[in-house]
Amino acid sequence: MTKAPAALAVALVLAVGSVVPATAQGPIRIGASLSLTGTYAKLGKNQHEGYQLCEKDLNAKGGLLGRKIQFVVYDDQSMPATAVRLYEKLITEDKVDAIMGPYSSPVTEAAVNVTEKYKKVMVAPLAATTSIFKKGRKYIFMVISPAEVYLEGLIDMAAKRGLKTVAVVNEDTLFSKAAAAGAVELAKKKGMQVVFQEAYPKGNTDFSALLTKLKAANADVLAAATYFDDAVALTRQMKELNVNPKMYGVTVGGDLPEFYDTLKQNAEYIYGATQWEHTLPYPGNQEWFDTYKKEFGHEPSYHSAAGYAGCLIYAEAAKRANGLDADRVREQLLKLEMRTIFGDYKVDADGFQVAHKMITFQWQKEKKATVWPEDLTQGKPQFPTPPWTSR
Amino acid sequence: MNVVVTPAMLGQVIVSGILAGSLYAMVALGLGLIFGVMRVINIAHGPLLMLGAYTTYFLTTRAGLNPFLTVPIAMAALFVVGLLLQRTLVFRVVDAPELSSLLLTFGISIALVNLAQLAFTSDLRAVEYITGAWVVGGLAFSRPRVIAFAFAAAVTALSFVLLKRTRLGKAIRATSQSREVAMVCGVDVARIHMLTFGFASALAAAGGALLAVIVAIQPEMGGVWTFKSFLVIVLGGAGNYPGALVGGLLLGLVEQVASLFLTTQLSEVVAYVLLVLVLLVRPSGLLGGRQT
Repeated sequence: MTKAPAALAVALVLAVGSVVPATAQGPIRIGASLSLTGTYAKLGKNQHEGYQLCEKDLNAKGGLLGRKIQFVVYDDQSMPATAVRLYEKLITEDKVDAIMGPYSSPVTEAAVNVTEKYKKVMVAPLAATTSIFKKGRKYIFMVISPAEVYLEGLIDMAAKRGLKTVAVVNEDTLFSKAAAAGAVELAKKKGMQVVFQEAYPKGNTDFSALLTKLKAANADVLAAATYFDDAVALTRQMKELNVNPKMYGVTVGGDLPEFYDTLKQNAEYIYGATQWEHTLPYPGNQEWFDTYKKEFGHEPSYHSAAGYAGCLIYAEAAKRANGLDADRVREQLLKLEMRTIFGDYKVDADGFQVAHKMITFQWQKEKKATVWPEDLTQGKPQFPTPPWTSR
Repeated sequence: MNVVVTPAMLGQVIVSGILAGSLYAMVALGLGLIFGVMRVINIAHGPLLMLGAYTTYFLTTRAGLNPFLTVPIAMAALFVVGLLLQRTLVFRVVDAPELSSLLLTFGISIALVNLAQLAFTSDLRAVEYITGAWVVGGLAFSRPRVIAFAFAAAVTALSFVLLKRTRLGKAIRATSQSREVAMVCGVDVARIHMLTFGFASALAAAGGALLAVIVAIQPEMGGVWTFKSFLVIVLGGAGNYPGALVGGLLLGLVEQVASLFLTTQLSEVVAYVLLVLVLLVRPSGLLGGRQT
């Protein structure tokens, strides 16, 4: 008895489905888990807003493959294990039509095991760790630049100005280690000498001993693969101990407005790296920035832009594949060359990003002036950095 | 890497070590008091420190107070928080097996960190007040850290006066030596427990308030301080209050000197190896087993 209504419903759905044209099909549901609470909450939310804006813009232009798109997003609380469970649920219970990546390298590294198992394409817009893409995985695609090139601009500019010696310090975590290794390799390639190198544990806030040694090594350039707290502490203690490299650059954290708010004029002359700025001459970039600000009431970060771009990249590949079949979309993603508001997209055979450019900026008069690479930026670096005592 | 250590460099890190050690000692004294009096290991000690840092942050940025003036305010606020925590939750596990108190304070710690994330967000905050250093004889004395040192030394000294000289301090020490005998002598043990927890929280808050001008403030900043405080009281001798002072300064110096001769990364290893050695040679800590 109880089965009768269900059977009826199925028959009805089949009947309707066969008559109504494709445009009236339900929306294409794109599943993702994002860090909406927990450690990465702020950045995860920005990525979420990037996805939301992409959904809105695509639907305003008629959707994808004649269907609307709709994001199905769960909160993974910034925890890799939770993300694994959520992707499993999205694929097996919710049966979403497509997948987008979560926030951060550690969460992506965990979640990708699920999407690979079910052979689902995952464009992972906020995973910057090279190793994720070098484990023979087939269906994952990178959008942002890898950790290894974060300090490329600093080293390149230093080499061009004839500086000879480099000191490299880094937090001893996956991302920072990769950034430091990239800087060391590049410096050697440019004929510079690495005169000091040291890692420090996560959460370290006292750099007196490290800086005392660094001062004795007297390097022209200090390349620091940092996060936020350590970048702030390092800078403050450089002033205290009067450590004066001719160029000093940091990686993550240095691009946040809070970095300047915290250090005030002590942040001047510091170089930083960024995946994206709204001032870069990418098509539609400035308009997108204005729209985003109006939509969400605050400025986007690069996480917002990368999320937005990642979603467009997936949509473009699906359009070219003329369907959502994972293998055909994958083929298109491997071939695709695309320029979005976030910059260039092109991947190698592993799905590893090779076209997107990392930007180097310098804090000048309370603003980030983009100074590298020359073909994308207008600013001039203020060189050399004056000693603390004469500022 | 190929850096020759000179006496001047060693002098510099000894200065830094003492400055850092004074904060370790003050914060760890709070953890040591709770353990001594209640036999409770308070995992929430670090998160209480974090609340102290936020108190300073908001009073400085919203009310425009001088950050160092907020130290007593943060201490008073967290004294009340500590009192309430003890009165509502911690008193339930005072006589329970030590695992229960670990679990409870671990739970409180998670709750505090997550509440802070909800209330204050995970955004990194900082109080920019004073930077740079005073240079004396070629050695740099970090201005914010020297001022923090002065406060920590004063607070620690006052705490010892309170413990040694006042009736309340005597009652606290009596309770920590033998609860039953203290009770028989007319000490209101439940009240002493509450006051001790409040006092210990105030010490953590002082640490947080002073750190606010040194490091970035965020909800998870306290965790490492729970561990460091624990290390300090075990080194110095759990339940022995001057031990916290010895352990704190020792940890500060060992970290810095090890960072100089080895690497910053290895300095933590050295600190914990030292802990193992102390436990092997003197299982009750450096000053453990002596009368306080």
